[in-house]
Order: sequence, then C-alpha cells, then structure tokens
Amino acid sequence: MARYVLIKIARLVSLLFVVSLLTFLLVSFSPIDPVRAYIGADMLLISPEQRAAIEAYWGLDQSLVTQYTKWLGSILSGDFGTSLIYRIPVAEVIADRFFSSILLMTMAWICSGVIGLILGSLAAMKKGTWIDRLIRGYCSVLLSTPGFWLGLLLLLTFSVWLGIFPTGLSAPIGVTSDEITFADRIYHAILPAITLSIIGIANVCLHTREKLVEVLMTPYIAQARANGYDGFTLLKRHGIRNMLLPAVSVQFASFGELFGGAILAEQIFSYPGLGQAVVDAGLEGDVPLFLAIVLISTCFVFVGNWIADLLYVLLDPRMRKGRNMS
Amino acid sequence: MKKLVFYSVIVFVLLLAACSEKPEPAANDDTNTTEAKETNQITLAIGEEPEQGFDPTTGWGRYGSPLFQSTLLSENADLEVTLDLATDYQVSTDGKKWTVMLRDDAVFSDGEPLTADDVVFTYETAKQAQSVVDVANLEKVEKNSEHEVSFYLKEPQSTFIHTLQTLGIVPEHAYDSNYAEKPVGSGPYKIVEWRKGEQLIVERNPHYYGEQPAFEQLTFLFMGEDQAIAAAKAGEVDVLSVPITSADQSIDGMNRISLESVDNRGVMLPYPEPTTNEEEEKVGNAVTSSLAIRQAMNYAVNREEMVDGVLNGEGTVAFSSVDGLPWGSDKAVIEDNNQAKAEQILKDAGWERGDDHIFEKDGQRASLPLYYPSGDQMRQSLSMVFADQMNDFGIEITTKSSSWNEIETQMHANPVMMGWGSHNPIELYSLYHSSMQGIDYYNANYYHNEKVDSYLDQALNAKTENEANEYWKLAQWDGSTGLSAVGDAPWVWLVNLNHIYYINDHIEMDDQKVQPHGHGWPITDFITEWQWQD
Repeated sequence: MARYVLIKIARLVSLLFVVSLLTFLLVSFSPIDPVRAYIGADMLLISPEQRAAIEAYWGLDQSLVTQYTKWLGSILSGDFGTSLIYRIPVAEVIADRFFSSILLMTMAWICSGVIGLILGSLAAMKKGTWIDRLIRGYCSVLLSTPGFWLGLLLLLTFSVWLGIFPTGLSAPIGVTSDEITFADRIYHAILPAITLSIIGIANVCLHTREKLVEVLMTPYIAQARANGYDGFTLLKRHGIRNMLLPAVSVQFASFGELFGGAILAEQIFSYPGLGQAVVDAGLEGDVPLFLAIVLISTCFVFVGNWIADLLYVLLDPRMRKGRNMS
Repeated sequence: MKKLVFYSVIVFVLLLAACSEKPEPAANDDTNTTEAKETNQITLAIGEEPEQGFDPTTGWGRYGSPLFQSTLLSENADLEVTLDLATDYQVSTDGKKWTVMLRDDAVFSDGEPLTADDVVFTYETAKQAQSVVDVANLEKVEKNSEHEVSFYLKEPQSTFIHTLQTLGIVPEHAYDSNYAEKPVGSGPYKIVEWRKGEQLIVERNPHYYGEQPAFEQLTFLFMGEDQAIAAAKAGEVDVLSVPITSADQSIDGMNRISLESVDNRGVMLPYPEPTTNEEEEKVGNAVTSSLAIRQAMNYAVNREEMVDGVLNGEGTVAFSSVDGLPWGSDKAVIEDNNQAKAEQILKDAGWERGDDHIFEKDGQRASLPLYYPSGDQMRQSLSMVFADQMNDFGIEITTKSSSWNEIETQMHANPVMMGWGSHNPIELYSLYHSSMQGIDYYNANYYHNEKVDSYLDQALNAKTENEANEYWKLAQWDGSTGLSAVGDAPWVWLVNLNHIYYINDHIEMDDQKVQPHGHGWPITDFITEWQWQD
C-alpha cells in the first residue's frame, strides 16, 4: 500500500511539473511582457534601475530554462509571488476564493450525485414506463442545454422575478466578513451550484440507469425475484453495489468538468471564486495568479481521479484480484 | 416499488426545501431590508473595481469623490473653484509660489488632526511617485506654520489648481505600504471592509469636518454589467451605471439619467515616418505619417452616423478631446461626411485610387490595421463602423482585437481606438506635447509640432486661467497650424459618450458636472449632498 501511495504521489508531482512547464511555456510565448505585467500600471513609478533589478530577479536576461527553474524554486519554497491585479500575495487572493469555490463545487457535486443516482435507479426500475421516458427525456434535454443559458434563466426566474435568491456575489450586500454566517455563504452558492450540477445530474443518471438495467437482467436477480424480493428491497440487496460503480466513477472523474463548469457559473452569478479569478488573471495578464490557480486545479482533478480509482477497488472485489492498483 | 418512488420523492422534496429555505441570520440584512434601514444605507453598482486601492498619491480619486480623503480645493458643478481643506489660497505675481491656508478643524478618521505636515508629506510622496504630471513641476513644498503651506513651482503652471482640487491628503503618521488597502483620511467616509472582487463597504466618518452625508453606509458592488442590471431589477441596487449598449432598461422604482460627458473616443494615428525609439519599439507609420491621409479621414468620416447607430443617440459628435470645455476651441469643428473634399485633399497630395478603389501613392497602399481592446463592446462597434466608412471611401482598414498588453507594443506604429476626457486642461499637454511622447499612454502616436509645443508651454505657464485658455485654444488652431483636425490632425476624434445611470426614485441628486472619462466613479462627486426623499 505504501508503495502504491508513493507511486501515486510521484505521478502527481511529475504531472504538476509537466503542467507548470507547459503553462510557463505558453505564457512565455504570449505577447505579455512579464516585467510590464509584473509592474503593471506602476510602469511610471519604476525607475530604469528598478526595472533592471526586477528583470535580473526574474532572470529575464537568461534562457527560458534558467527562468523556469527560478520560478519553480520560488514555488517550491511556498512563494506563489504577488498578484499583479491586486498587489497582494497570490496566496491571500486565493484563500477566500478557494473557500467559495470549494463550497460551490461541493454543493453542486453532492446535488448531482444524489439526484442523479435516485433518478437513474428510478428510471431503470421502471424501465419502459412513462416515468422512464420522462427521466430520459429530461436528461437528454439537460445534456444539450448550454450551461450559461440555464444559469441566466435561473437568475432571471429565481432572483429577479421571484426574488427568492440573491442575484450574485458570495455574501450579502453591505455585510462585513465577521458578520457573514456559513448559512449566508451557502444561500449565495445555491443558484450557481444548481447551474453547475444540472449537467452532472444527467451524466450520473444515464450511467446509473444503463448499469442497473444491465444488472436487473442478470440470472441472480431473476433468482431473487423468484424468492419474492421486489422493488426497493431487491435493489438494496442485489442492485446497489453493482450499479454504484459507474455512478461513482463518473462522479469522481467529473472533477475536471466541475472546475470548468465552475468558471462559467461564477461568471454568470458574479460569484468571486477561483473560476472568476482565473478568468481575470488570464485577461489582465496576472501571470503569478494564473499559474497558481492552474496548479491548484491540476491537483484537484488528479485527486478526483485517484479517489475514483480507489473506490473502484473498494467497491468491486474483482479489481483486487490482480493487486494491480496503480 | 411504490416505496422507492415514495422515498425518492421525499428525498427530492427535502433537498428542494433545504435549497430554498432562507437561512435565519441573513433574514434581517438581506434583500428584505425594511424601508427605514434602506434610507440610511445605499448600494451602488457603478462599474470597475479600483483594484490598485485608494492611495491618492498614485492616482486614486482623480475622478469623482476620493471618499476617504479630502482635497485642499474643490470644484462645483459649473467647474468653478471652491474651498475644501483650504480656507484661502494665494498665487504670487510671478505664478511660481502658491500659498494655501488650512482649516484647523480637520481631523483624520483615526482622530489625529490634519496639519501642514500631512499636506507637505502628501505632495512629496506624490512627487516621488512621478505618476502625476502636474507634480513634476513642483520644486518644493514647505510648511510655514501648522496651518499654512507654500508650494514652489519650477515654472508658473496654470493647471496646478487642478492638482490642488484632486490630490487627496494622506496622513503622515498612518501611511505605509498597506495604505492603498486600508486608507485613513479626512474625507466624508471611512473604509469598513474591502472584499476584493466582490464589494467595498464604507461608513460615515464621524470626525468629518464638513456636513455629515445623509447616508450612514455605502456599499459598492463589483460585478459584471449584466449581473449588476439583474441585481438592480431585483431591487438590490440603488445607483447603477449601465453601458450605452444596454441603456434601454426599464427598472421599477428607478429613474434613468443620461449625463453629457467629455468621455471621448477617437482613433489615434501615428504621426512620424516609420522609425524606432530608444526602447527598440516600432514608432510611426508609412500611411498615417501623410497629413493628407489624416485630414481625409477626418473629413470623410460620418460622426453623426456613429452617434445614432452605435450610441443610439446617447452621445455627441467629437471634434477634439476637449469639446465644450472652457479651453475647447470652436475652430476645431469641421464639416465632416464630406467624401468629395476628402478625396480632393488626397489627390492634391498625389494619392490616386488603385484598381480596387483603395488610394495609393508611390506604391504605398492606404491600408491600415486598427487596434481596439478586446471585450470593450463600444470600442469594437465604433472600430467596425469606422472601418466600414473608410473602406467605402477608399482607405482600407482592418480591425484587430487585442489585449491592452498587445496594444501597448503596437500603439506607436498603428492606429488605436482610444478614449480620454478630463476636467483638467493638462490632458491637452499630455496628449500633444512632444515631451510626452511614449510616456504611458500619453502622446503614444509621437505627435510633434514646435509651434504647438510652444503654445502648450505658454498655456501651462500662464498666470491666470483665462490667459491659459487662450493658449490652449491657439494650440488647437492659430490660423495656420494646430493640433486639431484642421491642422495636423493627429487624431480622428469621433464621439463623446453620455454616461447613463439608473437611480433609486428616492435619492435626490443635484446637478452634475460634465462627466469626465471613466464611467462610474464620477457620479460620486457630490455624494455628500445626496438626500433621501420619501
């Protein structure tokens, strides 16, 4: 097991290395002059000597290889640099936004998992009936709905028209940080989370349905039915474990989409999270902030996939046979 | 089987209930604010976040109210000089020494008194920052007594009064590297919290020497334009600025106001022949270095069509960067949409139409890119319309959408859709004086005319504002040369944009100034005088 964990960590590290290198290269090929970007609007406040000092500090007079190793060195020492947009350490910019984004994604993720599972099982158990057709139709419509359009629709309906939810932001208007409760944060994350989970629901639901339909055709289910089991009991005793597999793998493998979707949802609802920060960073050439968020999101997606692997092993005894766990 | 359906429904309903239940703690300070509470705090969504923070010495507060700080002098709606921190001021006969007397009851929001030391400190800090042109001419600033300061200028400078009107005073004892984030000042409001990327909360400064403003708390929201409009429709916003592109909202309980401005847009044309500057950047352009091309563009363009088509009538045609200001020259106005005249100008200068109807001269086609910042709908539309009009006329223009970073590297050698507009005539100096070539975005097209330079110098060094205004006007056109379209035509000024706001019916604002560049913050200019009317 220890060896397995070590291998995984080695993989993550190598992945981060490659991603950071690629990002770094892309950024270096972009028309953004890093010093200009670093100094930003203070171009005039900087004397030529200072500029030269900064260039030397970044090693811009050296080769790309040297530059990259320097940047890597400061990252490894835990220094993500200073955000160019906000003039404060990147870590500070990310801290609060990280919480907002994680809250949003967690809510969306749980929502899509639970509802997707329920709807999927329901459709499979009632295969061929109007319920099944309704759920499948609903999923197909959702899958082909553009997320931003749906978000705007929710915004117009629930915030502007009905006034049930706030129109945006991650906290009530005009209330200071120490007065904001966790409930406030959740309340403000609901609409973006629904927007974000809608697509996920359809994915999990359809996968679950397919698998359960398959399971329900197996001989042991026929046996169980003959023994008088029916409905929910049957599902509980013989169906759940088998049908959870695809659902779980889809759920955890969807971390990447989750992050991508969050960028969109945060834009629609002016919800200040990592997604919005990465868009701002990209548009304004805030290189340090951009790289930091890229690394965080890479870790996030990697861990998601890793958990999916692990759960597979836990849920499916057949996977353990070869002890082939990486 | 029935059980499963039943359970699912239960779970689903529970989930929905969990999602839609309004948390208790938020109930009394959220959307359901009572009228009584609403009257002493208002919410504003007026655009861009001042991401650099609130330090006047690096430029905060140049437009609108500095909120947290106060200035020595101020300006009323008719652009007349009024007193603020100053009780009086005098200018020496040679125009080089300005003496300002300070009030003795001004206190910073932390309770410390504001004295001459703070004024000296503020101006010295700004001078070191070298970000504000006006302070470059300041030789030294000296304290005569606790409540009297003298400014010594290297050269007489008529526009120095604008510096006194816009530079907020910072406290010497509480100024450090975090000042921009946590400002302390003597202004009507003090900062409570700035949640970056989300909102800025300020409250009344109890130590403010002036009349206390009517509103206890102001909250500035930083959200996208569409979200801000949605929030206003949901009744969460009291003051909203909208771009002209979405100026036809109908929002219950809000009045729409449209303010005229000098917030202008125009095409900046590189002036010299192609060369490079000290930083090895490309400067100048083979096509736009031709006077005939620059003038032809100014005469051929149809500005009225842009005001009607792109701005939906919410603006005015622009012939200069200072239309309608006391130092604007009526001689800069020309009869545009005159293709015949434009063609004549080109033909006289030896340009001829090629087979494809585009003008050529000595093998050089009149073909140009036009850069505009991506994501700015207004500039994009203006660029497209301008390109269409010019292509029809015979000058080929290809629009290019770029980041500001990219534009900064291209703007000395290619036309760019730019915007300016200020209450300070120094902007004319910054845009057209040869000493300002390539500094920041000023004079980025490297315009240079000795005669104009000398008029600009004389305007700047004039002792009175009236005398200065005469020279500002001469710089634009003196009968034989000038920086306006009838002269060297280094720009094709197109339009002045109106600024459109939606304001809660209950909020009463007095007259506003002609709005400067930068939609949003200028509305806060007289925020201390806003009243709530039931």
